[in-house]
Amino acid sequence: MRQAIPASRATAHAVPKAISDRTICGLFMAPALAILILMVAYPFISLLYYSTLNFSILNPAKGSEFIGLENYTRLLSRESVWERFVFTGQFVLATVVVQFCVGVAVAYAFQRNFRGRDLLFTIAMLPMMLCPIVVGFLWRYMFNSEWGVVNYLVTLLGFVKIDWLGVPGNALWAVVIADAWMWTPFVILLATAAFRGIPTDINEAAEIDGASPFFRFTRVTLPMSMPILLIAFLLRLIDAFKQSDLFFAMTGGGPGSDTETVAFRLGKIAFSHFYTGQASAFAVIMLVIIIGLSLIFVRLLTQQGRQD
Amino acid sequence: MTKKTWMGGASAAVVLAMAGLSSPAGAAETLTFIWHAGTCADAVVNIAKDYPDKNVSIVPALVPYGPEWHNKIASEFAIKGDGFDFAMWDSQSTAEFAGGGHAYSINKVFEESDYLKPELFDPASLARYGEYPDGSGQYWGLPINQDAYGFMWRKDLFEDPEEQAAFKEKYGKDLKVPQTYQDAKEIAEFFTRPDEGLFGWGQMGGREYDFATTASNSFMWSFGGELYNPETFEAKGYLNSPASVDGVQFYVDMFEYGPPGSQNWGWDEVNAAFQQGKLAMAMQWYYFNGSNSDPKINKFAEVTGFGNLPGAIGRDGKFRRQYSVGGQGMGINTYSKKIPQLVKFMEWYFQPEQQKRYAAVCQTGLKSVLDDPEWQGLNSYNKHFAKALEYTNDYWHLPEYNVLLDILQEEVSNAISGKKTVQEALDDAAERHEETFEDAGYEIVRSDETPEVPDTVIAPVGKDQVEELPTD
Repeated sequence: MRQAIPASRATAHAVPKAISDRTICGLFMAPALAILILMVAYPFISLLYYSTLNFSILNPAKGSEFIGLENYTRLLSRESVWERFVFTGQFVLATVVVQFCVGVAVAYAFQRNFRGRDLLFTIAMLPMMLCPIVVGFLWRYMFNSEWGVVNYLVTLLGFVKIDWLGVPGNALWAVVIADAWMWTPFVILLATAAFRGIPTDINEAAEIDGASPFFRFTRVTLPMSMPILLIAFLLRLIDAFKQSDLFFAMTGGGPGSDTETVAFRLGKIAFSHFYTGQASAFAVIMLVIIIGLSLIFVRLLTQQGRQD
Repeated sequence: MTKKTWMGGASAAVVLAMAGLSSPAGAAETLTFIWHAGTCADAVVNIAKDYPDKNVSIVPALVPYGPEWHNKIASEFAIKGDGFDFAMWDSQSTAEFAGGGHAYSINKVFEESDYLKPELFDPASLARYGEYPDGSGQYWGLPINQDAYGFMWRKDLFEDPEEQAAFKEKYGKDLKVPQTYQDAKEIAEFFTRPDEGLFGWGQMGGREYDFATTASNSFMWSFGGELYNPETFEAKGYLNSPASVDGVQFYVDMFEYGPPGSQNWGWDEVNAAFQQGKLAMAMQWYYFNGSNSDPKINKFAEVTGFGNLPGAIGRDGKFRRQYSVGGQGMGINTYSKKIPQLVKFMEWYFQPEQQKRYAAVCQTGLKSVLDDPEWQGLNSYNKHFAKALEYTNDYWHLPEYNVLLDILQEEVSNAISGKKTVQEALDDAAERHEETFEDAGYEIVRSDETPEVPDTVIAPVGKDQVEELPTD
């Protein structure tokens, strides 16, 4: 039996469209766009504007002076700023490589079935759930050269105590260890997800064809999980580039300013020195670098997608 | 109990708990203060619980000691916010906050209050913790918590007859609590025995906040050095003068008699090492004497001596004893909407009755309590503290203080780590300080020549004889 069409629906069909689909689409998007403009575009434009001023937000009575690109030229002409970029690069390279080598290896080990695997996996995830500043202070005490547990283990192995945080080279590795301890679980998590997403029959087929475990890992598992691993790499790269909490807690940026990352220096200029104009310019420079790095990896990701 | 009743009860409990959170003890008004967490902040909170006006409660917003403490106050000022009503800030921050127009004038408080008057405080304390510009008579903070760099030592080691005999044999003089850094160095060397887990000297050298410079400045001033010339704004020739270099060099050399890695220490590590019996002597703030004299915290508390830091005989043959002032002034947020209520609270809080309670654990700024023999006899170190304030010195009282401090921290840290020589580090610090002065608009008036011992022309304190301070 044919059902009666509700009056309102029938009317809707009868009346010609007053608002186009495009307008409706725009109206639906408008709130989200407004929020986006308010939360992203406005601060970004303000940041660009402040970066052209000689201005301190803590001392508004002094006023602000438009100085064009002088904040940028002053920053980029300082050797000490370039040293911070070089140090940050060293840190990013070291910590991301360590996290990926360890993270991917552990995630691969977690593919095997063994007793207590899930419990162990959960425990392995714990470090990344801690507050970075707490992790920093924890490792600071563990690396204490006189009574820290790390040097205790070092002496048990028959070596002399190491001044972990007082020597620039050692301090870099001390923070890399702390950062890797905290964030390798993130790589494990994503790598595990990537590995588990590979259909088992592909690996089984390779195994039947006589492929060795190493061959299967390098020729099957890794290539097939590459998109997710690249995303993990990108996220860790950006995050490592912004690292400052661990350095703040473990070394205070010292000795001298040898372990100051660019994010650490930016935080100091912005919220300790309150050189608002200069800090804005520094933030823009950092943003450009991060966007540049992101674009490289997004391109890689796209290429990978096309190959697949 | 039915589900409905249970949920109703739980909701009521949540609402009550939230009411309790927003307004402690049912008080109608809250006065929030920012300080670094610790014994003294706890003392203020405990004393404030007895404030007779139960409509007002004091709410602490505590942060760890260090840059985030300064930054929390500064950030609120930057947005002209009233997230706190008053704050305890470092003496040297007064210029920065008052200069920016964020601090409420204490002179106004003095005018409006019947009780709060400048006479309640030692003029030097009032100037140290609240005056800006220097010598202007304009105050922006009250000395709520005075502090000075102090000295502690292991009495059991110093009074051991065998140690005394061995020291006499090696150095040809009696082993006694040092009055000069030159003596301290010999004693530190004598007690440095890594095989026994004992070291002669503990001091801060960390890069964070003001750890390295509060210590190194104490040496620098004692040797006759200065940070800058406040009249001409010259840093070159003052901060890197021969006397300044002597002092900082002596400080850097003292790390030889500390545990390995002590170059990175803050006050926490100095305390920990001393409390574990690893140090024969240590520089430490008076602030920590309460915990370091507590046998529950320091197993050597019964045999720990407390007193004032040594001085030094400078290259001009003069003796000077100068060390960093610590402590905080209590400043009022000019954007607070509760200043009248706050002033009433301050009138109560700065009464001797409350200040005696505070002074039982920390160092008050109220003169009548400081001068009270009862307070001075309360423990083994109060009487020394009363004397200590005569020898304190401070950083630049300038709004650019935080930038200047960061530069000096960095360069002194470079000298400690050996990346630069002391001369190179102080040359660079002086250069960068002058750049900061120029950027801030100060005119640097260059002198034809700068003094070898800047103290002789800035604020001379040199004495011909070593001035012995009691060590009992």
